[in-house]
Amino acid sequence: MKIPLLVSTGILLVALLPCQECRALSKSPAAAPGALHQPDFFQQQQQQQQQTLPVLLRMGEEYFLRLGNLNKRPVGSFPASSSSTSHLQPEAPASNFLRAALQPLPERSLGSPEEGEAEGEAVEREKRSEEPPISLDLTFHLLREVLEMARAEQLAQQAHSNRKLMEIIGK
Amino acid sequence: MPSAFQFQCHFILIFLAASKGETRYLEVRDASEDEPFLLLSEDLKRELSAGQIYRRSLRCIDMLSIEGQFTFTADQPQLHCATFFIGEPEELITIDYDFVNIDCQGGDFLKVFDGWILKGEKFPSSLDHPLPTSQRYIDFCESGNIQRSIRSSQNVAMIFFRIHQPGNGFTITVKKNTNLFPCNVISQTPSGRFTMVIPHQHRNCSFSIIYPVVIKISDLILGHLNGLFLKKPSAGCAGVGDFVELLGGTGLDPSKMFPLADLCHSFHGSAQMKIGCDNTVLRMVSSGKHINRVTFEYHQLDLQEAENRKENSIEEFCFPSI
Repeated sequence: MKIPLLVSTGILLVALLPCQECRALSKSPAAAPGALHQPDFFQQQQQQQQQTLPVLLRMGEEYFLRLGNLNKRPVGSFPASSSSTSHLQPEAPASNFLRAALQPLPERSLGSPEEGEAEGEAVEREKRSEEPPISLDLTFHLLREVLEMARAEQLAQQAHSNRKLMEIIGK
Repeated sequence: MPSAFQFQCHFILIFLAASKGETRYLEVRDASEDEPFLLLSEDLKRELSAGQIYRRSLRCIDMLSIEGQFTFTADQPQLHCATFFIGEPEELITIDYDFVNIDCQGGDFLKVFDGWILKGEKFPSSLDHPLPTSQRYIDFCESGNIQRSIRSSQNVAMIFFRIHQPGNGFTITVKKNTNLFPCNVISQTPSGRFTMVIPHQHRNCSFSIIYPVVIKISDLILGHLNGLFLKKPSAGCAGVGDFVELLGGTGLDPSKMFPLADLCHSFHGSAQMKIGCDNTVLRMVSSGKHINRVTFEYHQLDLQEAENRKENSIEEFCFPSI
């Protein structure tokens, strides 16, 4: 009798614990095209993800940091970037990322001391690295192009507002 | 006579009281009118403000110079995206998160950077910005629930985002606020005119023009405006606390650009320079002891002007980027 009661209590606790991993933040429902709130994760699956994903996330950041570094290979996945600025195949960074991401995982399966050590190393690596160089590898030429597009949009919007104002005043 | 004098005093007092009352009336009118259209009826005002919020969707690489509500929805995994924001020199950018649907645990991120960063080079530079670089990145995945409204320190900002799952995305509202003493500015246009004032502040301010330009400094005041105390350095600008320098280079970071000229004497007139670099920066260094002001104009250096090189042409100092 007690065992089923304990089991049902445990299930209720698991079901009612708040999910903080999901980040579906909504302020105005009307402004959400195709908006679906993140599904609630099962607690056990969530715990497993917490064990593995932080390292992946850090490795992902480090990968992006490498790509953003001036001395390294530039990012090559922008369709608008000129061919002279990048000569790296988009698949190569992905394969490098997978290689880098896969390496610490077997170590992590051994237990919590190695897990903490890997996390600590990742944190130290991040601290030792220079300022976080998450940046865009865009030439000045392209920057000017998008700047001029933004300027044209601003002028068009201003003209639209003026036209609307004149229509209203004319009524 | 005393009665006449009393009459004059009374008249003055009555006049002052009447004008004060009139002023109060005008202030009340001004206070109640943020919208400029005083003569419009309520219906017309409602109609005018009904569709005033500008909305559109964002591209992976985009630039915005207007207020409005902007939505990005990934139709495929988008791993390297950024949006630049730029305003007028006297504006600050405010970004509000209206809706965010990204998977932070799955590798998505959404970060706001206070300034622009291009190829690892930042504007404003680390020397000119009040915050360290790490604090200039505001990561939604770390502080999204706490900080939903982010204001820039200058007229430029940008966001970086990565979204793996198609259908995920976010909506932001961009607003602009007035900055009374613009310090670090990137010009939207290749031509313009600007006056930079640093009033008793120990800070360095840069004005960046990402075009080859002809720049003409018409007015430079280093010191008190009343002229009682002006800097008179003995030789050059070495050791001077307040000066203006012209920089040229191929990157965005003023601290990595080549100094082309130093100005540490106040003058009124025009000093013109042709700078053929991809980026031209006028930087004012201020000790905080004085009120410093510089007024300058600039326009784009076209090919014909570049060919007719005369004195003060410094194109040869700009090397192509590696």
